[in-house]
Amino acid sequence: MKAAVRIQQEDFSQDEEILALKASSKRMGGIATFVGCARDFSEGRDVSQISFDAYGSMAVSEMNQLRSEAIAKYGLLDARIVHRICTVTAGDNIVFIAAGAEHRAAALEACRWMIDELKVRVPIWKKEVTPQGETWVTSHP
Amino acid sequence: MINVLFFGPVVERTGTNSLQVAYQSGMTLQHLRDELAAQYPHAFEIVCFSAVNEHHVRDLSMPLLDDSEVTFMAKFSGG
Repeated sequence: MKAAVRIQQEDFSQDEEILALKASSKRMGGIATFVGCARDFSEGRDVSQISFDAYGSMAVSEMNQLRSEAIAKYGLLDARIVHRICTVTAGDNIVFIAAGAEHRAAALEACRWMIDELKVRVPIWKKEVTPQGETWVTSHP
Repeated sequence: MINVLFFGPVVERTGTNSLQVAYQSGMTLQHLRDELAAQYPHAFEIVCFSAVNEHHVRDLSMPLLDDSEVTFMAKFSGG
């Protein structure tokens, strides 16, 4: 089975990730997921590609810590975080987060918390390729 | 030696993704940051975070050990 937390070049399968999450406990009654994907428009400009750079070892370490904190904070039964580090185009998947809990409220809140925390704690950077040139993104709305 | 790493937007401004700085007894993260900021002022305009051996460090007075891995990073934009 693939690790619950990882960075990878290739796309991920949401079905496989959810199956892996479900396999961790039969008490799971609610699963919340977040999928971040590439847009073709940002800050008023067309975006043809997005590429990522990461401090890989620290990113995985931070994502593992994030997962552990979410499990403890929200009483989750399990959680998974997968982030792609590659070049993507509009519509491509970038990040997958899943939170599994006994009930929906904890799962939904934990999922939102994990993506918000990932954006401010995990050393990953995105560069957008536009007709005006390439620009590193430094904001995270 | 102190191994210094740069990523993403900082690399674009330093022109390199790694370099080595001679370790000096009593050296702190602040000393290293000041030394590199003097060499790469344009890059350090966007440096917001520091990490030592893959851990976030906010206290720049932290003493460094020889062979430490130090990273100066711009604001993150994953997800």
